Amino acid sequence: MAQIKIFGYADKISVKPGDTIQFHVSADGTSTAEAHLVRLIHGDEHPHGPGFIEEEIDCAANGTWQVEKQFTQVGAFLEVADPDRKLALDGSITLCAFIWPTWPDVGHRQCLLGRWDNDRNHGYGLGINPSGRLEFWVGCGNEVDYLQAELPLQKQAWYFVAATFDARSGRATLYQEGVVSRYNSLLSKVAPVEYRSHVSEMFRFRQNNLPDTPFLVAGSRDWHALRGHFVSQLYCGKIDRCGVFDRPLDHEELDAIRSGGQPPLDGMVAYWDTTKGYTDRGIGDLVVDIGPNRLDAEGYNRPVRAQTGYNWNGRNDCFRLAPHQYGGIEFHADAMIDSNWNATKTLELPETLRSGAYAMRVRGGDGDGEGLAEEYIVFFVRSRMPTARIALLFSTATYLAYANERFATDGQIVQPMAGQPPTISEVDIEIYENPEFGAGCYDTHADGAGVCYTSYRRPMVNMRPKYRIAAFDLPWNFPADLSILAWLEHKGYDYDVLTDEDVHLEGVAAMAPYACILNSTHPEYHSERMLDAHEDYIAGGGRFICMGANSFCCNVAFRDDEPWIMECRKTGGHWIAWAARPGEYYLATTGQMGGIWTGFQRWGQKLVGNTFAGEGFAHSQPYRRMPDSYDPALAWITEGIEGEIIGDFGLGNGGAAGIEIDCYKLGFGTPPNTKLIASSGGHPDNYIAHDEEGAHAHQGFSGTHNYILRADMVYFEAPNNGAVFATGSIAFGSALPINGFENNVSQLLSNVVNAFVRPGPLPGSNRPRKSTAGLERVAS
Amino acid sequence: MLPLEYGRSEDRDIIVRDRFDGFRREFLRTLVNPEVIEEHRQSALGQHSERLERLLIYFRQRPLEQRYAVRAIEPFRRYQVVRLSGRRGVPPRLVDDAIYTSANDARHGLFLRCIRDLLET
Repeated sequence: MAQIKIFGYADKISVKPGDTIQFHVSADGTSTAEAHLVRLIHGDEHPHGPGFIEEEIDCAANGTWQVEKQFTQVGAFLEVADPDRKLALDGSITLCAFIWPTWPDVGHRQCLLGRWDNDRNHGYGLGINPSGRLEFWVGCGNEVDYLQAELPLQKQAWYFVAATFDARSGRATLYQEGVVSRYNSLLSKVAPVEYRSHVSEMFRFRQNNLPDTPFLVAGSRDWHALRGHFVSQLYCGKIDRCGVFDRPLDHEELDAIRSGGQPPLDGMVAYWDTTKGYTDRGIGDLVVDIGPNRLDAEGYNRPVRAQTGYNWNGRNDCFRLAPHQYGGIEFHADAMIDSNWNATKTLELPETLRSGAYAMRVRGGDGDGEGLAEEYIVFFVRSRMPTARIALLFSTATYLAYANERFATDGQIVQPMAGQPPTISEVDIEIYENPEFGAGCYDTHADGAGVCYTSYRRPMVNMRPKYRIAAFDLPWNFPADLSILAWLEHKGYDYDVLTDEDVHLEGVAAMAPYACILNSTHPEYHSERMLDAHEDYIAGGGRFICMGANSFCCNVAFRDDEPWIMECRKTGGHWIAWAARPGEYYLATTGQMGGIWTGFQRWGQKLVGNTFAGEGFAHSQPYRRMPDSYDPALAWITEGIEGEIIGDFGLGNGGAAGIEIDCYKLGFGTPPNTKLIASSGGHPDNYIAHDEEGAHAHQGFSGTHNYILRADMVYFEAPNNGAVFATGSIAFGSALPINGFENNVSQLLSNVVNAFVRPGPLPGSNRPRKSTAGLERVAS
Repeated sequence: MLPLEYGRSEDRDIIVRDRFDGFRREFLRTLVNPEVIEEHRQSALGQHSERLERLLIYFRQRPLEQRYAVRAIEPFRRYQVVRLSGRRGVPPRLVDDAIYTSANDARHGLFLRCIRDLLET
């Protein structure tokens, strides 16, 4: 009997009662599954805590679901809409493109462009053959004629390549010339490398086109008995301007295109100018055909735009400055931003559903499944009419960034960084073996390039309760954040939940109804709109508790109409999983530079008083109270806490201060009135200071040598009776559940929350009340 | 090491890496003693003596295909030691049948295997 495996996702991550949500499930080894809506309360199974806690919720979708195996198209490519079959050329033809292959020696055929049916051997194509050579082929069903170049293509080198076919004579030619400049390729001209190849041969027949074969760039049509049509022969690399002509262009005409000249109009069927469509605010997935037929191409699995082209000259680092030099569109054979599975079940959420973190629990077969036979499809329910004074803000952007990361198995740096071997679970192995799950922004594609797009429209195995990240053997992000939710539940607070998506789409309006907002253990990734909303909320009188660390560090972007896809470019500093290539630092989604907010003079300290000091994954530390905590005006924060030590316990490596830690720094914009309530220190040498803390790495950057490696618990009053309390530690949230939530970390947080939700001036405040005209709040 | 052993390698960096590795291993072997083993048994994670830390840093820096990992069969109850493939998509493989009842026990089992590799090769 086949092993039962169940995976799924929802079409939305944030919904309100009464909204409709769709669940997409794929199953192996079973045709039925038992589904039940659950409210998630605690997600860490650590035996020193309360364990996993869920609450079953009645809903119309509960019960037996019919499930099936669903297939996922991986790989990025362009598909041309060609209803009139202008590209079904059955006579003479020229195909041409600028290309920058990243993996020519992958060992299987890669199709650059063509109208080729890989299953039935009909049509024509220009590509790279299994030996890494440029190849042109035509097929008539029974047979295929091939013409290959004399030498393999070099990786990361720009070429202009073309294939011509004269149907009258049967002569096929290949044109391959390097267009390597001082800037655009891996090697310079001092390397004695041969790029050129020109070959010719007589073909025995001409191509025969099937009526429904699509013209594709970076892939070709294929077919499988179970899944039907799909795209294979996926290409890894960049393609700049490319075109199709219905006559064989001569050598001089091809030379002229290679040299930057306009392609001839005579015989042009399509010419995709990959530099068209840039605006100051980025570019979309449509690739414009400037030919007579307007056969625009559409990207699938988000080919990467805003990449340097063959003519990039190194002077400009952004497409906004020189769009004509940014014709590079980058394709990856394992790119995946939407599983595109059929919907398995649609649910109209009950109107009575309270705000919270929910999941559709789906268990394969008769419902007693566990391990891979059990899936939790997580989503968040907001309040339709907020009445609670507290909101818990889930860091869904951070969840997206880490989605399905595989760095425990692929990341060279991970074991040295983690200070431990990975602890790998069954589901880690499952996603490692199957590229259909897609990767996260901490991964690289198999061709070596960083993953800059991530999405929640696919199973996200690490946005589940109970999951422990393999690299660190900890609950990470969502499952860790449930410890904060469980604390709110235990303390009986009336709270709603919000997500980063809500804040991105609605700005401060999503936050304004709440007197006090707590965020997550790891609020790392923020779009500009999200960051602005936080700043406006706090400055407008909101009271904000930054529960975690590594806070407000990274800059990401979303399209308004596709908020499930996030773009992330890694650049700046040395704490990045991969580095965007020179000239490719800017987000195609918005035109803004990617990387870390430090690069914009928007350090996290300016917002919440502290941000990233460093990280480590050996044991965590406690906080020690600092003199400000003994100030009578601030005594309310530590009321009921005996002694100097806070949090010498926790589910996150045994202390409340640790994992990733943030510190106070006036030079990075910590508000000058900020008080330091408590601070950790003496972390193990596995903790290394972030390079923001010193421009040059040197011995002594690590925990026992460096006082900067500390979690600072800070507090400050903001305008209009606003305030911020920040824990400076990812491990803080995981300390809350210890001893049945009765401990001094829990006590301290209660003190802060109780003060923050109380209307009127803050305890100990001697500042005059000011107008709250800047922010209209429901809860005041 | 024969001079021509690397003749077919295009990446000369590997030659330097392997020579450095040879010197490093020779030194690291001198650090292994019962006290280091016991220190790790008592505390697999955390601040360690310099002697132990040097060994651990080395083990964590091995090429991926030479690194081990812990496999959680049942979190907090049953673990095994596996070896990474170093090849994308190829799962880790079990190194033996030993079952450990805690993650730290498994980490120590893994450490002993690294020590054995260091001393025997």
